[in-house]
Amino acid sequence: MDAGRTGGATAHVAPPVAQAATRRLRSDRLAPYVLVAPAVLVIVLLRLWPLLLGVNFSFTGDGERNGTSVGLSNYVELFRDPLFRTALRNVGLLVLLLPVAVAIPGLLATFIFLRVPGHRFFRTVYFFPAVLSPVIIGAIFNLLLGADGPLNAALETVGLGPVDWLGEPKLAIFAVVGVHIWATFGMALVVFLSGFATLDTTLLDAARSDGASTRQVIWHVIMPGLSRTIQFVFVTTMIGMLTSMFGLLFVMTSGGPGGSTYLPEYYIWTQQGQMNRPALASAASTVLFLVMLVIGLAQIAILRRGLRED
Amino acid sequence: MKQRMWWPVVVLAVAVGSAACGSATSNDNPNSGAGAGKLVVWDWKSSDKNAQNFVAKAKADFAKKHPGVTVEFVAQPFDNYYTLLGAAIQAGKGPDVMLFNGGGQIRDRASALLALDEYVAQDKNRLAGWDAFSKDGKIYAAPITLQGHPTYYNKSVYKQAGLDAEKPPATWDALLSTCATIKAKTTLPCFSLGNKEGYGIQFWMSGMGSGILTPAEYDNWIAGKRDWNSANVKTIFATWKQANDAGLNTAGPNSTAMFMDQFTKFEGGKAAMVFGLMSDVGGWHEMNPILGADNVGVMLAPMVTPGAVPSLAYDGGVGYGVAKWTKDPSLAADLVRSLTSTDALTAYAADAGAIASDKTVTIAGGGPAAAAITAAIPGGKPALHVALSAKTQDVMGRVSQQLLSGSITVEDAVSQLAAADQTG
Repeated sequence: MDAGRTGGATAHVAPPVAQAATRRLRSDRLAPYVLVAPAVLVIVLLRLWPLLLGVNFSFTGDGERNGTSVGLSNYVELFRDPLFRTALRNVGLLVLLLPVAVAIPGLLATFIFLRVPGHRFFRTVYFFPAVLSPVIIGAIFNLLLGADGPLNAALETVGLGPVDWLGEPKLAIFAVVGVHIWATFGMALVVFLSGFATLDTTLLDAARSDGASTRQVIWHVIMPGLSRTIQFVFVTTMIGMLTSMFGLLFVMTSGGPGGSTYLPEYYIWTQQGQMNRPALASAASTVLFLVMLVIGLAQIAILRRGLRED
Repeated sequence: MKQRMWWPVVVLAVAVGSAACGSATSNDNPNSGAGAGKLVVWDWKSSDKNAQNFVAKAKADFAKKHPGVTVEFVAQPFDNYYTLLGAAIQAGKGPDVMLFNGGGQIRDRASALLALDEYVAQDKNRLAGWDAFSKDGKIYAAPITLQGHPTYYNKSVYKQAGLDAEKPPATWDALLSTCATIKAKTTLPCFSLGNKEGYGIQFWMSGMGSGILTPAEYDNWIAGKRDWNSANVKTIFATWKQANDAGLNTAGPNSTAMFMDQFTKFEGGKAAMVFGLMSDVGGWHEMNPILGADNVGVMLAPMVTPGAVPSLAYDGGVGYGVAKWTKDPSLAADLVRSLTSTDALTAYAADAGAIASDKTVTIAGGGPAAAAITAAIPGGKPALHVALSAKTQDVMGRVSQQLLSGSITVEDAVSQLAAADQTG
């Protein structure tokens, strides 16, 4: 490897062949860096750099104090704002509801995999909402869940009073999350189905011929075999819940009633656009980024242990 | 190979280093988005069909004064307008002239705007509504419309209920009994209300406020001396809740959008009354063709507190301001003057159904409703909610929803608002 490096005084008398070899070795060593450079540059310039700018910006002031350093005061204000605390509480609620959001596509995918009657039909139907835009879905459910909408009309015919699904502070967040799960589980379902495709069918046959029940097959064969898929769906569903509910919130509740359906991203949008507080919004973005990082890492750690991955 | 790993590290170090020492923004590099001989205008109206005449008139007026300068109108979607504008302000470059809503939206951004006092001095008497575009005694935009909150009522519903359609209720008790009669005779609720965005309370406050606050309290409120704990201010919120608890509102106000569900319901005959607007949308211009101009009634606030003097609440509606970073301030200010010329505003008022800021413009074909509004303008006062900051309005929207759902009391609501009003 060091053939060309004859060092010190003898270097200038090295034969031409050795010099050419040195040059080739150098270019061999540089080649990997040159090859990954475009990708690294894209990540650094378009991802890390803006991220750092955003974090830096969150330590500056708004309005008249624009551009001046204000230390941590944006963060202090953020955690004193009851609205942001509600948004964080709602993040906690989403984390708690996450198993439901993963279990629904997981179970339905299992049934399709086990070829229940009509499984082809259901596969298409389940995926259908995933191609609709959140704004359209929000508008549809606004009509369905309206105080004088068809759902309430149906409830009234069976003697139950009308419920203002999107107008009651305690109910509205569940209504929106429910609609979000309905609208997006099709994508997770497809991921689960592709996971099933990689399952070793001989293991399933072996379990069956050993007399395992369906429940035992799911629990002891399918679940461990799908551990990576489940991990992936958990993390992407969480990210989806935290970052893609803006459209639904905007259309269905506008963050209300009483701020009860605020999520951090909605808060960021309001502060930046409506309240003219871009630096405060940057601070909220930074907090959201950290929350996602912690939740994502914690999930992977827990799932790894829980699914006894090799 | 370790010694060759330096360069990605250097790139990162440079990135971190310059992020740490430089501010992400700076306003000291003003750079207009337009080149010499060109002005860029941002608004959310110029692409509307009913604004084409207005834009053409304003451009023609401006071309007479500055033949070599081109004017480009960029219509932004209203939902994102202030977000886009915020980004432009952060960058310190963008349009030369921009449209603003009066009140909090422009006051919060006054530091990015040019004071127009010296340029618009000649227009001060011809136009009304300047206060909504002023901060600390300086004018930051010239109004093109007046916006206010008349209470509209459907005369045919009144007649159906056997009531005198020319005598709307003048006191709170009369309002309650009128609503009870309407409910009994027609099964309709009194008010069409949409408070999903939290705007319903703003309209309530400004529509009802002059009948609740005494004239002195009203003037103090507008001047910035607001006593949120006074009995009459609490009455604004107590009556808001009382009206809902008594079934005066359409179903599900917290989940009904004001724009346009609240107005669609009123126009569809599903409620007897609505707190509306007097320019653009949600007013006589839309209601006249649907309900019939003779069926659209306008009333002032009913008297709730003895000694109150009910009046029409109105301010400057929307107006054009000039960015600080524009290259030639007097040129941009001249464009603002063209946009507020009598010719342009006459066209806008007629096409878009607005009450123009220009006192010399008369509305033809607005029916009894527009006539009643015009007649109330001389005795009108600024709207109560427009005097509040965007932050206080935001908090008020939320507490109003909580009041309707019963999760807080009036006392809680006013104490939260008092705190927001101090910091906002």
